[in-house]
Amino acid sequence: MTPTALGRATAAVASRRTAGRLVVPVVLVAYVLVTHVVALTSSYTQSLVLVAAVFGILAVSLDLVAGMAGLYSLGHAGLFALGAYATTLLNADLDWNIFVLLPVCLVGVGLVGIVLGLLSFRVSGLYFAITTFVFTLVIGVLASDLTITGGLQGLPGPIFPDFPYAIGGFGTALVWCVAACLLVTVGAVWSIRRSALYPVLLAIRDAEPFAAANGVRTRLVKVLVFGVSAAMAGMAGWAFSFLGFVSPGQFSWTVSVNILVMVILGGMNTTWGPLIGAAFISVFPVYVHIDPLWQELVFGAIFVLVIVFAPSGVLGVLTKLVRRPGGTTRTPVSAAEADALAVDPAALRSTDLPVHTMSVDPDLPAVECSGIRFRYGSGSLVLDNVNLTVRPGTIHGLIGPNGSGKSTLVNLIAGHLRPDEGSIRLHGRPVHGLDAAARPGHGLSRTFQTAVLVRELRARDNVAIGLYRTTPRIGRRALVWPVLPGARRDSRATATKAGAALDAVGMSRWRESRVADVPHGVEQLTQLAAACVGEPSVLVLDEPLAGLSTGEVTAVAGILTELKRAGVSVIIIEHQTKFIFEMCDEVTVLAAGSLVTTGPAAAVRVDSRVREVYLGQ
Amino acid sequence: MLQVLLSGLAIGGVYGLVALGFAIAFYVTRVINFAQGQLLMVAVMVTAALSTTGLPTWLAALAGLVGSAALGVLMYFVAVGPVLAYDRFSFAWLVSTLGVAIVLETGAAIIWGPTSRAFPAMLNNNTVHVGTGSLTLQQLLTVVVALLAVAGFELVRRFTLFGKLGMAISADPEMARAVGSNTRLAAGVAFGVAGLLAGVAGVLIGPITFANPYLGDTYGIAGFVALMIGGIERPAGAMAGGFILGLLDEGANHFINSHASDWFPFVVVVAVLLLAPRGLFSSGEVLRRLRRTTTPMAEGTS
Repeated sequence: MTPTALGRATAAVASRRTAGRLVVPVVLVAYVLVTHVVALTSSYTQSLVLVAAVFGILAVSLDLVAGMAGLYSLGHAGLFALGAYATTLLNADLDWNIFVLLPVCLVGVGLVGIVLGLLSFRVSGLYFAITTFVFTLVIGVLASDLTITGGLQGLPGPIFPDFPYAIGGFGTALVWCVAACLLVTVGAVWSIRRSALYPVLLAIRDAEPFAAANGVRTRLVKVLVFGVSAAMAGMAGWAFSFLGFVSPGQFSWTVSVNILVMVILGGMNTTWGPLIGAAFISVFPVYVHIDPLWQELVFGAIFVLVIVFAPSGVLGVLTKLVRRPGGTTRTPVSAAEADALAVDPAALRSTDLPVHTMSVDPDLPAVECSGIRFRYGSGSLVLDNVNLTVRPGTIHGLIGPNGSGKSTLVNLIAGHLRPDEGSIRLHGRPVHGLDAAARPGHGLSRTFQTAVLVRELRARDNVAIGLYRTTPRIGRRALVWPVLPGARRDSRATATKAGAALDAVGMSRWRESRVADVPHGVEQLTQLAAACVGEPSVLVLDEPLAGLSTGEVTAVAGILTELKRAGVSVIIIEHQTKFIFEMCDEVTVLAAGSLVTTGPAAAVRVDSRVREVYLGQ
Repeated sequence: MLQVLLSGLAIGGVYGLVALGFAIAFYVTRVINFAQGQLLMVAVMVTAALSTTGLPTWLAALAGLVGSAALGVLMYFVAVGPVLAYDRFSFAWLVSTLGVAIVLETGAAIIWGPTSRAFPAMLNNNTVHVGTGSLTLQQLLTVVVALLAVAGFELVRRFTLFGKLGMAISADPEMARAVGSNTRLAAGVAFGVAGLLAGVAGVLIGPITFANPYLGDTYGIAGFVALMIGGIERPAGAMAGGFILGLLDEGANHFINSHASDWFPFVVVVAVLLLAPRGLFSSGEVLRRLRRTTTPMAEGTS
């Protein structure tokens, strides 16, 4: 989809933009027409389409968490049931108006989703799947064992009112209502996919530490996104209750898996995939008239076959077929060529690097660690009483043999770990009690030894994640992003800034390339651009030269010099001692978790103990 | 009271065997095999069908066990291995194992009809008295077999090369493959053992439940709940979870009302998930939680 040549890319983007402006109104008009046709057909066709539409809502809502955020929820049948039973019971027993019940379902089921998320993101992704699975089981048990829910037989749902006589020509009102629900759901998820939240969600899915290092409170975002998805499932339940009986069999745990199959069958993380899957799975049993047992068997076999032979779904297969003849996706780059291409020193305009605007006290150390002690679990001491002071505006080298605790110290400074004892201050403010996502707010950015980025996104979108913290209200605006002029403006500003940051590290030619298609060095420098774009006052680099070519090393040296001139303090872990002693103002040496020495680079270089433990002399 | 304890242990042994199968397959592949209950059903149906043809009961049961173990291996190579090869960290196996469950269940219903069939009584007509209570020999055998299975698993895991291979694959499959172990074979064997354990559970419970193609759902979910109570990381914990679930089932039926076992285990599993999310017997769970709550306090004072 992304041509590698920059000119072609810009042209494609431009033409896609004009086409995009037309697609939305055309699709909307077609949708209204189809709805009108359905609203006037037989009640048999209507019930068929309505069931498919309700499952469409569920599949799209599940795709939001499973496809974008990588959270495989098996709780959607349970959330669906909550919406349906709440509507039926509150209407029948307490006589609540059904239109009041729609917001009640959205908010109520959304809150249930939030609580479920809070409880289950404590451990792992698998634990989330298990907790939501048990949730569906429990809702199923409640629905079948309580007397109020009518047990296994269930309850008749409320009646949806018809249109007033004057506008009766529109046909069945329920069809319009369900169509509106589906449109809202698809629209919201479509809008999230176009918002600044989208790369952040994919980063949470594929590169969680990278997201956290850029100030994303990943757990909170996951909980809220699941809450939104749950609210949509609640709305599906609300709509479903008008279709007839509400009984436990319609919400069993296999329904949760059915919804997941719909998403995977159509194509995960696509606008149309979940809808195609939902339509196929709901309509299949109606049109294939065979013995119900055989039909069930075929169903099960389809589950297995799809997962084994087409894990990227119908849309994935189609995209592959469409792409292959054109061959525009990936121009093969030989290793040598890639190396020559990777950094173009002429394109290096490091003076454009964004520089921090935070006011910091120039007399306080940029980073001050004192008395740091740390052990992993109950293991042996990894860091023992380590002190580290980084003066503002200097480059501070951190060296030591493998296993000396350099990366652990950096992870403590960046908040990925917490010290057992000791304090860490950034510009005089204690930060050791805060988690990684809170560090960028105090001016700290970091890179990782091995870049883990979102491979399916372009380099520029990955760098844009570094702007998450400074772009206001991303989460709140994501649901209606494309219709907000301010949000569109922010998107353009983000793209420009991220592009400029890539230019500044000499990566102009890779701006529009997917990270999956770029050489290793480009990935590392993209990571560096993401760390710089947020305008840090302290930059922590964990082995930034690992696997870089000579040209790229020169580029990094240039970037560091520029950052220093701009007043940024840098901590750098590196094994290339020549580089360290040339670039750094001060150097700290660690060995076996203890401080060997710290001081000006020239003094450390000739220190006999350093030569002994590190340089092996 | 004693009777509740005895019956609880007997049914708990069945749950524990199913849960142990879940845990062994998970231990090696990090996959929860949602068709585990259906593998139990296969052993029950095959045993029932063959014994009506006049085959001696023990031979029919043996064929049932072979059937569920072989299906376990087969389902790994057809529905789980390829999915993991595509993306080891995705959850696509949720769907493929459930697909297998549906195929097995409806396949059995097509072959043998959807209604219950007779199952040989085996040792169910012999009763032993224990104090004021009594157990059938079948129930006694269940408890013994369950204990033997978990002891056998622990011995293999700790003292044989194959067990250590399992541990290595469980910790890091790529590294295990890099040092030359055949991870696919080991995973296939784990699924085979899981199927065998499900089959054993099936043959032990068959005389009470009779043979029904939809047995898998009931016992699969019960085994899964036992697994959640005991903790998924430790197979021995899963067996303990089975016994606890059995006791809770019988206790609920005795002390609350005769249908309480329909819902009471879920109350327990929710409580376990809230308080000890990794299960009751997971290593260091309590310690880790204490540590997590005390660390911020220590930071606050420094």
